[in-house]
Amino acid sequence: MKMLKIAVMIKQVPDSQDISIDPVTKTLNRSMARNVVNPPDVNATEAALELKSKYGGEITVITMGPPMADTALLELMGRGADNGVLVTDRVFAGADTWPTAFTLASVADYLGGFDVIFCGEETTDSSTGHVGPGIAEFLGYEQATYVHKIEFQDGYFIVTRDIEGAEETIKVGKPAVITITLNANEPRNPTLKRKIEAYKKGIRLITNKELQLDPACVGLKGSPTIVKDMKTVPDPVKNPSKPGIEELDKVVSVLIEKGVVK
Amino acid sequence: MPDYDAIVVGAGNAGSAAAITMAQKGLSVLLVDRSDPPGAKNLSGGVLWGNDLARILPKWQNEAPLERFIQDKKIGFLTDKSSIIIDFKTKIFEENKVGYTVLRSKFDPWLAKKAREAGATVIPGITVESLAKKDGKIIGVEESEDIVTASVVILAEGINPRLSIEAGLRGPLQDWEVSVGVKEIIKLSPQKIEDRFNLTSSSGMASEYILGNLEELNVGAFFYTNKDSISLGIVAPMEQLRENGVTHTYDIIEQFKEHPSIAPLIDGGTVAEYGAHMIPEGGLEMVPKLYGDGYMIVGDSAGFGFSNGLVLQGMNYAFLSGILAGETAVEAKGKGDFSSDSLSMYRQKLENSYVLKDLKTFKDIRKVTNNKNMYTTYPKMLESILLEMLWERGQPKKKVRDILGSCAADLKMSKLKTATDFYYIYRRM
Repeated sequence: MKMLKIAVMIKQVPDSQDISIDPVTKTLNRSMARNVVNPPDVNATEAALELKSKYGGEITVITMGPPMADTALLELMGRGADNGVLVTDRVFAGADTWPTAFTLASVADYLGGFDVIFCGEETTDSSTGHVGPGIAEFLGYEQATYVHKIEFQDGYFIVTRDIEGAEETIKVGKPAVITITLNANEPRNPTLKRKIEAYKKGIRLITNKELQLDPACVGLKGSPTIVKDMKTVPDPVKNPSKPGIEELDKVVSVLIEKGVVK
Repeated sequence: MPDYDAIVVGAGNAGSAAAITMAQKGLSVLLVDRSDPPGAKNLSGGVLWGNDLARILPKWQNEAPLERFIQDKKIGFLTDKSSIIIDFKTKIFEENKVGYTVLRSKFDPWLAKKAREAGATVIPGITVESLAKKDGKIIGVEESEDIVTASVVILAEGINPRLSIEAGLRGPLQDWEVSVGVKEIIKLSPQKIEDRFNLTSSSGMASEYILGNLEELNVGAFFYTNKDSISLGIVAPMEQLRENGVTHTYDIIEQFKEHPSIAPLIDGGTVAEYGAHMIPEGGLEMVPKLYGDGYMIVGDSAGFGFSNGLVLQGMNYAFLSGILAGETAVEAKGKGDFSSDSLSMYRQKLENSYVLKDLKTFKDIRKVTNNKNMYTTYPKMLESILLEMLWERGQPKKKVRDILGSCAADLKMSKLKTATDFYYIYRRM
């Protein structure tokens, strides 16, 4: 059997534990936050590693971001990924999910395409879940989202995905994009030996010189989303005391009064 | 052939300085740190004296992420209601900028980056599990069942040297050897900092206090200005905290922040970060065997620090011990000999430097810093004297000796005890 060519698309995000909301500007204060690999992307990498150990393959982790995002790739190579690719160029900066998916799909194409591309389900800093499916659409790959279990049989991926209140097992063909849920698996830790090898090997940089994408379709220029305003939602007012069962009549009458029940 | 000439465990000031020293001389060096970016979890009070850093990084003052150079140094005593402070502000500090406030979470990753630029392999985000031993020699480090080998391992683990203890290179940490430092970083605009402390955009103030308002504990405190924040904290001896068993360190730092002379200085600021760390204060007695077959111990792990209650230094000792261990490794590589005998040069170099000289000169300093009168009675006595001298209450004036006499009586201190205390403090400081 031919070795699987596997990619994992990842993002470096500020550690959500360290983010606070600036009380004055009401925007996210990321200045104190350490950069980490987007948590479900670590699960996506683990899914790739498990697939590789069962069926053989070569794993390339890819990210689009500033030069400092190299540490995220090296971290995942320390966990066992074979190659790291950093897509970095000023023209790619400020991208929303549309040009991000377009650029990453173009990179996958530029690297000769993959049998399977893994992504995390969503990023912790924007939570759209757009990029994985976007990559699949741009490349014309099959796709499965919110997946926590993968088998590979007769050239098909048998995946189990979370749907509201249940799970669904489906079969997708090759090539495919599969997005992995947070905590889908237990990611292995990086080891010293692998990290040393990763730092020795280094990562490959790809800029728009190689990709030759139309500057109007990437970065801020290629982003259809315009953020008009940001608002902080006030904390919901909590009922100070929970009514006891003996007050059920009162509760029901309040609900009727408010038109919640008839 | 070992994988590396040297492995350094820990990217703090001592570890990175050792790695830079060796890499600059062409040794193959692996520097491993638990945090990613390397050194980002490190913590200290925050005043760096960089004379030694210039030996390996001559342009450090232009390149390092520094906060403010120390132009104003204060030392003093706080009692319940008063503060007695010596404010030393000098042009000499401005003309010779070597003392700076720093935030270690920024400074240490920069220093580790310098080690990488010098040619060391710097691996972040890995906690070494144990030291690898063979025939009684340290031959490398172990992690995830892999062994990475080196001719020499430099242990720069910090104040809690787990690997060194587990490998039997030193005993477990004792209460008397350490103090607990608790620190907060309080955000304040540069404008407010410069107005409140009479500073320019680049100058800074560093003060250290003896807290005379706590009955049971010998606690020191610090207060430093950064660019847009204040670093403040308290330092309490572990032994006394354990004996006392009641007072929590967060109560002490709150008391310090609420002191009438401190509260207005941080008014309007918000706490951005807090942390706690141990500080070596055991002096010469806590220094372990510093070298052996295939290893050397540097920085906090070796107990290198200086404290007399009013001066608290550690980073300079870390730099210098790291550099000296690095130089020893370079010489050992030249001789092709990393045995205990060969590495004994490290101890020699330390003996000739201020690191061990200071620890020897001040070997009895703990008798001063452990003297409870230093922290309770004498600050109060000073306060009483100053009240007598500086406060007009429509009473006949007294001579200083009479003031002293009545203060001592009020505080139930015999003249003899006071005299012997001062004699010993004078001799030991």
